[in-house]
Amino acid sequence: MRQLTGTLERKQAYLLLVLPAVMIYFAVIAFPTIFSIVLSVSNYQGGAVFGEKANWSLVGFKHYLRMFKDQYFWISFKNNIWIMLMSLFIQIPLGFVLAYTIFRKLIVGREFFQTVIYMPTIISVIVVAILWQSIFSPYGPVTSFMRMFIPGWENKLVSHPQLAIVPVLFVMVWYYTGMYLIIFLANLQKIDQQVIESAQIDGANEWQMLKAIILPALSGVIVTTAILAISGSLRSFGLIWAMTAGNPARRTSVLALYMYDNAFKGAPNFPLANAISTFMVTVSFVFIVIAKKIEKRFGGKE
Amino acid sequence: MTQIQPMLKPKLSIGAIIARVLLVAILIGFTVMTIYPIIWLIINSFKTSKEFQMNRLGLPIAPTFINYPQAWKIGNFSMLFVNSIFYTGVATLAIVILSLSTSFAFAKIQSKATKPLYNSFVIGILLALESIMVPLFIMSIVTGVYDTRIGILIPYIGLGLPIGVYLGTEFIKSIPDALIESARLEGASYLRIFFSIILPMCIPVAMTLAILTVTSLWNEFMLVNILASRESLKSLPVGILKFSGSLASDYGKQFAALVIGMLPMLIFYLSFRKQIQRGLAAGAVKG
Repeated sequence: MRQLTGTLERKQAYLLLVLPAVMIYFAVIAFPTIFSIVLSVSNYQGGAVFGEKANWSLVGFKHYLRMFKDQYFWISFKNNIWIMLMSLFIQIPLGFVLAYTIFRKLIVGREFFQTVIYMPTIISVIVVAILWQSIFSPYGPVTSFMRMFIPGWENKLVSHPQLAIVPVLFVMVWYYTGMYLIIFLANLQKIDQQVIESAQIDGANEWQMLKAIILPALSGVIVTTAILAISGSLRSFGLIWAMTAGNPARRTSVLALYMYDNAFKGAPNFPLANAISTFMVTVSFVFIVIAKKIEKRFGGKE
Repeated sequence: MTQIQPMLKPKLSIGAIIARVLLVAILIGFTVMTIYPIIWLIINSFKTSKEFQMNRLGLPIAPTFINYPQAWKIGNFSMLFVNSIFYTGVATLAIVILSLSTSFAFAKIQSKATKPLYNSFVIGILLALESIMVPLFIMSIVTGVYDTRIGILIPYIGLGLPIGVYLGTEFIKSIPDALIESARLEGASYLRIFFSIILPMCIPVAMTLAILTVTSLWNEFMLVNILASRESLKSLPVGILKFSGSLASDYGKQFAALVIGMLPMLIFYLSFRKQIQRGLAAGAVKG
């Protein structure tokens, strides 16, 4: 009898502890995720979703076809790829180099450098976007600075359709590299100092040590940062939305912005917007699986 | 700061010295590049727009504080701050309590439901807000919570739960079972155990989670932007964006507004730097 009431109390307690979070999670994250996929193959244009007043049906993949035929989709997707490549081959290596310099104690005042480089990450993207917009704009300090070397230099950085993405990429390096620095540094500090010291005593040089001890110990973290970079670059949005709004001529658009414009600008096209976001999630999932496969192939630890 | 530490070993090859100098140069260069725009912004917030147009790089000749009270008043920053503090504070409190109660049940109470539920929370860590933005907007219209505070708070809480449940469960798992069993033998209910034993022990993880949540929610702007249109519901970042849009050529006030927007987070960061960085490293483990 005692046992029975114990079980009942346990079940009740479990329910009471778990239910509020589970309900909110399913309402705000899980359901919308599935709802988004359903919307992408529907013709929903607003109004009731369930019940008698609901006036929409499933129409198949026609929004995906429309998306693939749209030139702005390809412009946006291409920019996402640029951002991804820049994250993988500039931000991550740079973050590692900076972390390594601090870790190897090649300089004094390490706390200071660490603090400053991570600082941008905690500033609101809105502030960052407006600040850099001012810096790059024709009236900004970049123009004044360049004119000290090239008199009469004309600033086309924000108006030139092919160049406009460059300032955006630059700001991303400025904004996010600190994050990789901190992740690498935290994991470098987990490496046993004695292993490094004994390698030095055995006469290993910096490069040999890096190759034989440090990089193998970091292989798991490198994959983690790559996954962060991939998923982060596919959803990069806020900064561009506030900095250029995709302009000039939508040349700096990315998929998330292309989705936002279709959902919230002008006449809303909710199915198309959800087709875009479903595409984004799928692509990021595929890239993450590839990153995991590469990790296995090269025998990463963890 | 630029001085290189005395080398441990006297014999360093030329290549190694060049490599070290190069590494240090990259570090210093990147640091200067990081901090310069922020200093430039602060300096220029003390110039009038007129002076800024003639003097864009230098220090102010006649420093003025006038931009700040003016920007504060035009931007209605008092209201924006109250709103931001409300959203961030309430949502953070709810996320910490709900995550820990769920984590306790997942970690210490046997149930078949735990595994699928826990896994679905962990998947949520990887999900981006961007992929559920449009459905959230539609749901908020259909359910009638559009343009209300509760309609902003609930998505905020939901977005913070995955990482909270993940960190909380990992932490509570490390608390010895014996502690809970002996309390059970003394007749304490699970709820009592949660509030009087588990919660006090969870203070470190609660701090990490609270700091992570505060930094991300304070800067969040997209949800407020799409789920509310009333002026009185806007938060700090949304207000700053609107401010700079309407006063784009009044540089002095615009820079002051940006500094006002940046300052609370800078102070928060400089006070909790270690915890913020540790939180990032902890949150990034799972990717």
